[in-house]
Amino acid sequence: MANAVAVSTPAVRVPAWAWLLVAVALFAWYVISQDNGAVLGAAAGFLHEVTHDARHALGVPCH
Amino acid sequence: MTFPQLLRRGVAAGAIAGALAAVYLLLLVEPLIEKALVIEEAREHGHSHGHEEELVSRLGQVLGAIGTLAVVGIIFGIVLAVVFAASRDRLPVVHDHGRSALLAGIGFVVFALLPAIKLPANPPGVGDPDSVDQRTVIYLALIVLGIALAVAALSLDRTLAGHGLTGPVRSTLLIGGSVLVAAVVLVLLPASQDAVADDIPAALLWEFRLASLGQLAVLWAALGLTFGVLVSRLPAARDAELVAR
Repeated sequence: MANAVAVSTPAVRVPAWAWLLVAVALFAWYVISQDNGAVLGAAAGFLHEVTHDARHALGVPCH
Repeated sequence: MTFPQLLRRGVAAGAIAGALAAVYLLLLVEPLIEKALVIEEAREHGHSHGHEEELVSRLGQVLGAIGTLAVVGIIFGIVLAVVFAASRDRLPVVHDHGRSALLAGIGFVVFALLPAIKLPANPPGVGDPDSVDQRTVIYLALIVLGIALAVAALSLDRTLAGHGLTGPVRSTLLIGGSVLVAAVVLVLLPASQDAVADDIPAALLWEFRLASLGQLAVLWAALGLTFGVLVSRLPAARDAELVAR
């Protein structure tokens, strides 16, 4: 058996927009799981109630 | 293996992981939330002010939780796909399902375990609303430090590999070192000052924290394993494995 580590794995070309997508995804994660009014203001109250159980279950700071 | 192929599989794996986490939530977390809400309700009846109008019904909150978990699963599926694509050729693992499992394992430690050790999950009725901003900052700081630690460990791994250290030696050194650094960070960061109210039973708190961590473990394990299976079935991945043999 050949030394598998010596075989190089080809890289996957990652387009620049992919990192923008990661930034948007992580921001969306922050808004639905963390935000308590800092970004969304008044709309945060409704979002907080909708995501309430999941926030507790995911263990993020809730209230 | 192209990036759009990986991204689609990341979204699919994330949706599956979110769905499994939702099943876990319904079976194991929601009963505990209901118990805590009963305690919260009893507390409100003790006060003089009347019952406040609910913004979202209980059913709405349960359905909202299922939707939230699906979205969170897809979000981390997207992040996993991008990080996998960018780091695939550099990770110290041979097969794609191993790479996926490694990255998801790091994701669980960074996004779930580290914050849970410092700020354990709490059922409704626990937690001072005034300290939520402080707790959010600690929570996010731990995630940022965790990512930095993982990136540092993985790049140090490549450096040590260049110096001829074997895989078992490197992983022992780096995992041990990372645990040590994480422990120091956890000790140095300020803890939550919140007291747990007397009417919350210790058993409920303990069960809730375990259930929460279990749900996060299900989410990340399902994400890493599903993405790994989906990606390993791509033609290019199989070619690489044939070359490796």
